[in-house]
Amino acid sequence: MIISVSHLSKYYQVYKKEPGLWRSVSSFFARKYETIKAVEDISFSITEGELVGFIGPNGAGKTTTLKCLSGLLYPTHGSISVLGFTPYERKYAYLKQMSLVMGQKNQLWWDLPVIESIELYKEIYNVSDNEYKKSLLELTELLEVKDLLRVQVKKLSLGERMKCELLAALIHRPKVLFLDEPTIGLDVVMQKKLREFIKEYNKRYKATIMLTSHYMRDVEALCKRVIIINHGKMLYDGELLELIKKHAPYKLIKVILKESINIKRIEQLGEVLHFSYPEFILRVDHKKMGQAATKILEEFPVEDVTIEDPDMEYVIRGMFTK
Amino acid sequence: MLLGACLQNKMRKYFLVITNTWNEILTYRLSFILWRLRTVLQLLTIYFLWSSLIPHQKTLFGYSQSLMLTYVIGTSFISSIVLSTRTHEIGENINSGNLSAFLARPIGYFGYWFARDMGDKLGNITFSLIELAFLFFLINPPLFFQTDVIYLLFFITTIFLGIILHFCIGSLLGMIGFWSPEVWAPRFIFFILIGFFAGSLFPLDIFPKPIFNLLQFMPFSYLLFFPLKIYLGQLSVPQIMQGISISLVWIIFLSGCLYFVWRKGLKMYTAYGN
Amino acid sequence: MEIKRYFRLWLLFTRLTTMVAFQSRFGAIVFLFGKLLRFLFFLLFIVVLVSKTQTLVGYSIWQIVFFFATFNLIDTIPQLLWREVYRFRSYVVSGFFDYIITKPISPLFRSLFGGSDILDIVMLIISFIFIFFSAAKLEILTLMGIISFCALVLNAMVISLALHIFVLSIGILTTEIDNAIMLYRDLTQMGRLPIDVYAQPLRGFLTFIIPVGIMITFPAKAIMGLLSWQMLIFSFAAGLTFFILSLFCWNFALKHYASVSS
Repeated sequence: MIISVSHLSKYYQVYKKEPGLWRSVSSFFARKYETIKAVEDISFSITEGELVGFIGPNGAGKTTTLKCLSGLLYPTHGSISVLGFTPYERKYAYLKQMSLVMGQKNQLWWDLPVIESIELYKEIYNVSDNEYKKSLLELTELLEVKDLLRVQVKKLSLGERMKCELLAALIHRPKVLFLDEPTIGLDVVMQKKLREFIKEYNKRYKATIMLTSHYMRDVEALCKRVIIINHGKMLYDGELLELIKKHAPYKLIKVILKESINIKRIEQLGEVLHFSYPEFILRVDHKKMGQAATKILEEFPVEDVTIEDPDMEYVIRGMFTK
Repeated sequence: MLLGACLQNKMRKYFLVITNTWNEILTYRLSFILWRLRTVLQLLTIYFLWSSLIPHQKTLFGYSQSLMLTYVIGTSFISSIVLSTRTHEIGENINSGNLSAFLARPIGYFGYWFARDMGDKLGNITFSLIELAFLFFLINPPLFFQTDVIYLLFFITTIFLGIILHFCIGSLLGMIGFWSPEVWAPRFIFFILIGFFAGSLFPLDIFPKPIFNLLQFMPFSYLLFFPLKIYLGQLSVPQIMQGISISLVWIIFLSGCLYFVWRKGLKMYTAYGN
Repeated sequence: MEIKRYFRLWLLFTRLTTMVAFQSRFGAIVFLFGKLLRFLFFLLFIVVLVSKTQTLVGYSIWQIVFFFATFNLIDTIPQLLWREVYRFRSYVVSGFFDYIITKPISPLFRSLFGGSDILDIVMLIISFIFIFFSAAKLEILTLMGIISFCALVLNAMVISLALHIFVLSIGILTTEIDNAIMLYRDLTQMGRLPIDVYAQPLRGFLTFIIPVGIMITFPAKAIMGLLSWQMLIFSFAAGLTFFILSLFCWNFALKHYASVSS
């Protein structure tokens, strides 16, 4: 077990700010506190080499959990163990083996060429010269950032900068990697490239990776396993495919017709989500899928048929609103 | 009537800028209080320095203890009127490109910053008055009160001139933003010059005659020292007239520079299409 | 070994900070020029003041210059070494501090020494020159005096370090205050003149509550043979106390950060 979390809870005491001068003066002396339960009773464990997606809407507690795992926050209740360490103690032996990357924050020196920051992190992590050379070579190739190393950070595009951030965060080859919204704000092409890199890094170095993202595509493409939380509570932990089977036990059949038909006839097969000639989309239960498909092909003047899984984003949003 | 309404309408937006600035001070009150604490500390340092340098019943550089302490407290109060400003934000405003948003709005750029200055001054004056009330209550300093209306009128006039003069210099330093991102370094020099030659640390006439004469032709002494000297009744009417003329010349010269530099900078700014 | 590693890291941090500083040469040089002006102007003020009164609360002109030079030394070293403290608040606000504490390097070391300002060496050299010149003009110089001067300057550095750590702790505990370090600067500026010039109760306040007197006036007094051994011991005790308290404060702040940061 690389990461194990049991009954983790994290509460904040936040003092209420009140509007108005006099109210704020009086609250200066007698502050009213409010307890915010950012994370409540979460347990899970992750084995070596797993790549787990952490999903939830804004403020669900994803970042708080990652911060607890990386040692920034200490838990109110429960215990965490990562690589056999208690993260909050922030032992150097632990910090040397993990890395935290936050999409919106940057740890490269803004005014200097990228390579200067990388060399600084080499020293901070005490990476030997040989290992450093090897890592730098491999990572720059994987990330395609060889030409960027001599460029000032402030002159990089957001995507280029994120790649270099990853380079800086990985130069010591961490065994555990926490990625908080690594693709935020990037364009689609760059998102895809980063995703490919993360996958490759995971495979090549057997690194254990936990990633949060609110782009479902990231999670779909990368993670076999997902953990879903909302309002600080865990809703689901398991394989992505299982989740779809369980919470969306249906498929979407998209049909393009040759000629017009009576809508009544399709309604018997399943729920019609969309109909505008020549196209209709039908939602059909998993078990009745085969039957419905044959029927469509046999009985209707069909130009084209595609069968799709339901949209992940849609499924999960459905879970949150419940 | 119509003209009045039109004018009122025009003034309203500047009035709003003033109240916004005031609200800003309240929002960042902890920082502001700390800033005031710093000014109080500076005042106390100088106050106690001079109160022990000039024992009771003695004079130094022609100042009795009560005159000197009045001078020290007076400069501290006037500096909250004359020296409090937001013009240091102009440089950043131009640097960051936020200037564009202003150009699109129907509000005069310098009018806006002057109104902001007013809001800032309002905050500082209020706090300064409260602090001085405490100070009177705690240490009851021996003060000199000017009763001659003529001197008081001159005093108020020169404070207004000081406000305008300081605004001109501050804005002019902000204009550096058009040409360079280094807007802070020149201002740092300006702070140091003001720290010594506006007269908040000591009255400038303790300097030897040649240095003092030189300072009279620089703008700094007209920010604090000159109004205070009038308040203390230590200047003759010709001397006052001379001082007012010099500060007027500076104001005209600097606002001319400001106008010129602003036009030039703006031309470049719009040419680059920020 | 650990010390050697941290020294190497300090060199590296300083190299990077210097590279950044030299990207805006104009600004750096103007700042330096400003500091020089400030030094010269105050010197001028002192000379004018003392030339009129001959002595200032019993001190000769050279003694007063020595006090001022000592102030500059004790004011400059922390600015040179611990300049990063001035930038610390922005690290907390921007969240960069999260990266600082998840690296295998002491966050306290990183936050103090991570951005030393080499340009201040010029001011340091000037301070030394003035200390040597004015010391040579002092009437009596004893070996004991010089040793206790050096020890008290070191003690002042310990106190200053403690105060910088307090400022860092405040920066973690609340982001609402953005000029706590400037408050420190204002307070130490009172030490430009020997604290004897201030009337009571300010003088007592500066000795026993805010250690400006211990930091700046005492070392200079020691070299002039004007400091009693009781005060010497008191100074070191105060230095140690401040240092220990500041470490407690820092640990408290870190704990606080871990419980509330969001």
